[in-house]
Amino acid sequence: MSEVQRVSLDAITPGMQLGQMVYGPMQRKDFKAYADASGDDNPIHQDDEYAKNTGAPSVFAMGMLPAGYLAHALSDWFGGPQHLRRFKVRFTTRSWPDDEIVCEGRVTSIEGKLVRVEVEARRRGEGPPELNLEHEQLALSGEADIELPA
Amino acid sequence: MAEDELVFDLPVELDHVQDFARAVGEDNPVFFNAEVAEQHGFPNVVAPPTFTTTQILQVPREQRERQLGANLDYGRVLHGEQEFLYKRLPVAGETLKGRMRISKDFTKDGKRGGSMRFVTYESVFTDEAGDEVLTALYTLIETAKDVG
Repeated sequence: MSEVQRVSLDAITPGMQLGQMVYGPMQRKDFKAYADASGDDNPIHQDDEYAKNTGAPSVFAMGMLPAGYLAHALSDWFGGPQHLRRFKVRFTTRSWPDDEIVCEGRVTSIEGKLVRVEVEARRRGEGPPELNLEHEQLALSGEADIELPA
Repeated sequence: MAEDELVFDLPVELDHVQDFARAVGEDNPVFFNAEVAEQHGFPNVVAPPTFTTTQILQVPREQRERQLGANLDYGRVLHGEQEFLYKRLPVAGETLKGRMRISKDFTKDGKRGGSMRFVTYESVFTDEAGDEVLTALYTLIETAKDVG
């Protein structure tokens, strides 16, 4: 279990890699739990028939689910969520049932008390056979600013 | 007739915070246990950083469209970007006031021909004292009719 712990500014250096965090594999029940909690009830994430009618091979994750995992990773990397000042993500590709979400980050600069970080989440898995996807692909990329105690 | 701003309440309820935290795979007790949260200086259980996306429960898409009038064709719309700017995280037991407006609306040429329209909904959340808590920027991309 992750605990809130003190991470101080002097432990951080530009270029530092943050330890990889892996979430999932995501299941359809995780999409349903996120839909219920978030209010994103678009059937494209829960109803395979509906998804197929839109041209997708199956349901896929709402982007904010891997984004939530990435926020989770940031919170664990920096000793709790309270230091987060900015979090931005761009969605690149969809992620699918049975995908794992691999989160990574790198410190880009330190400006005063503010640590700037580049983050990404990759989907890892077979994906729907019809799509013939690469095993690992960038699902979302982004940036975060974390304000740490000196 | 479209309005410039849409004002709504976002209740931050304990059960909802815990359910949301579970749904994004959180296991840090500050999201679940008030005692632990207090030990870390929070007045109550903390909401995860992406919690305010639950604003869709308060402002359904149809209402947002009707009141702010972006006039998007949702058959061609993707969630392109999401950004949050934090003063602090919400805590269970408070009700935030949200003010939503369209902060950006522009069109640019797509890589594969056709144009893409970017619409950003900005929601500024304040607490009961009127202090800013966070701002959420929700960017939708409307793809060209003939692409994809």
